Amino acid sequence: MPSLLLVLLLAGTMPTADTIVRRADKAVLGDSATYRLRMSVLRPGRSDRVVEMNGWKKGDALGLVRYTAPPKERNTAYLRSGENTWLFLPSAEKVVRVGAKQNFGGGDFSNGDIFRLSLIQDYDPTLAGAETLDGIDCYKLELKAKNRSVAYDRVLYWVRSDGSFYPLRADYHTLSGKKLKWLSVSKLRHLGGRERPTLLTMENAIEAGAKTLLEFLEIRDDAKLDDRIFTPSALEKGE
Amino acid sequence: MPRLSGTVLLVALCGASVAQGGAREIEAGVEDFWYRTAETALNRDNFLGLDQNENLLRGALSWKETRGAAKFVFKGFVERSSGADAKTTWTARQAYAQYGWGPGVQVRVGRQRLGWGSGFAWNPTNRLEPPKNPANTALEQEGSLAARLDIVPANWAGVILVAARGETGLGNLPFSGSASERNTGALRVRFLVKNTDLAFVVSGGERQPTLLGLDLGRDLGGVSIHAEAATYQGSEIAPPRPEQRFFRLATGLLWSRDTTSVTAEYFFNGEGYSDGATKTYLRSLDATYAAATNPVLPRAAQQAALARYGALAALPFSGGLGLRRHYLQASWTRSEIRGQWTTALRSVVGLSDGGVALTPGVVYAPRGDFTISLDGVILLGPGDSEYRLAPLRGALQARVKALF
Repeated sequence: MPSLLLVLLLAGTMPTADTIVRRADKAVLGDSATYRLRMSVLRPGRSDRVVEMNGWKKGDALGLVRYTAPPKERNTAYLRSGENTWLFLPSAEKVVRVGAKQNFGGGDFSNGDIFRLSLIQDYDPTLAGAETLDGIDCYKLELKAKNRSVAYDRVLYWVRSDGSFYPLRADYHTLSGKKLKWLSVSKLRHLGGRERPTLLTMENAIEAGAKTLLEFLEIRDDAKLDDRIFTPSALEKGE
Repeated sequence: MPRLSGTVLLVALCGASVAQGGAREIEAGVEDFWYRTAETALNRDNFLGLDQNENLLRGALSWKETRGAAKFVFKGFVERSSGADAKTTWTARQAYAQYGWGPGVQVRVGRQRLGWGSGFAWNPTNRLEPPKNPANTALEQEGSLAARLDIVPANWAGVILVAARGETGLGNLPFSGSASERNTGALRVRFLVKNTDLAFVVSGGERQPTLLGLDLGRDLGGVSIHAEAATYQGSEIAPPRPEQRFFRLATGLLWSRDTTSVTAEYFFNGEGYSDGATKTYLRSLDATYAAATNPVLPRAAQQAALARYGALAALPFSGGLGLRRHYLQASWTRSEIRGQWTTALRSVVGLSDGGVALTPGVVYAPRGDFTISLDGVILLGPGDSEYRLAPLRGALQARVKALF
């Protein structure tokens, strides 16, 4: 596929790495969105853990999810504001801070993964070429962390080059080059008025066969959301 | 029964106003707390009148209704205590109504938990509600009768104003100590500055010195840390020391990975007793009890001495946060992936006296709407340590909950 890259570059139609990542960042959720999500944590030989939640997102900095099922975990809520993440535990009626690198809800996604679907803010992208993954033509990008507070030091990122800019896969690496996890983005569906990928699957390098699925069940883009719903005190209020 | 004052009407009003559609959560449960008691310096000749085994059996109900911007909550239990002083009582842990005007203003009125302060086991800035039992922070806490106003002008700032009538003693014990109620007003102003939670607290009221507090929280290399501190002039624990300024600090961390989490918290109680003061306190206990049982003294003097002994013996349970100066709490919790089984080990160590409270626990949730919890509490340490002075040797705390 290098020839395609060369042709595009020569033709001046090749988008920049920055543009590709910015477009891919908006592929699943718009700038401001509300959504319903199902998370399934799969571990070989063990029963699945399935959690459903409602989510709110505003820009790249503000995010909130609140569990709706199972009943014993209802109203457990995570809040992200900038670099900060808080967890509300309804049984203790208490809001506690949790780290962005900590696992979200016992699955393979970190808190940072869940709330920072936008990569452009945390990483400097460079275009590494073009590849075909699962028969789909993609841009291949290399993303380097802007600072050490983000969950991963280096990300290899594949984004469809068919004009949709849908992300297809991301491999997350440590500074030493060790691959920690990889994300597959799939299941194109018409949801919330447009087609978009709706299934994110994160696998980790530590336990073979272990994976966590995040499936968007409903999405509403361009929601009008007040910044003040993204506060620790709002977490306690419940829905 | 007195804890229900003012809340029954509120619950009745809630029921009347939620006839229209909305969200409803009902939870029913059974709690059984069994205690092995002991005669100690705080319970000479079984002054508290405890049986060797005391049991609190409770039927609990929780009801939450949400109607638009309004929310109504009732959590309470009926308790049958066994032992020498067997009786049936009922208690509203919480019974409140809440209403929000958008995300910026919210009012909550009634008996409620306030979740005041970032500390896990100790909250030095919290004079508004009964203190947590550091040996088992997983137990459901009772709230205070309070009016609370939340104002959120921006997502980086918030103000909480509370007027509360709350108890000063620990709950869930087979004896009442000398817990009393007091009225407190408090203001908490919170900011998010450079990825740090920063809150300033002022509180005051009847039978308490004015308190100034500072609460900090932030992430540090994947670990969440917090520090909650308070200062006030004049002691809260006897003897009165009106000219002296005291400090309290609870600082700790939370680390979690996958389904395992670890917490640790250090608590400094500035007005807590030194070794010398503890010896003086224990001598006072002995002396007052000796006077109370001295047949040479007139009956009135004996009675007065016994009352004095009772007040002294209740100090560790009515002071709120502990009798000594230095404490360390640590916990380890691990869930299996589906969340059916959760195991936990909590411990509190009295660094000043070597006392240890160990609380292993397990939670089994075979379904998403049903949980069984079992915690054991084991009190260890030297005979004159705070946890061994308690008229208890251990406890089993079982809870079963079903959600509808």
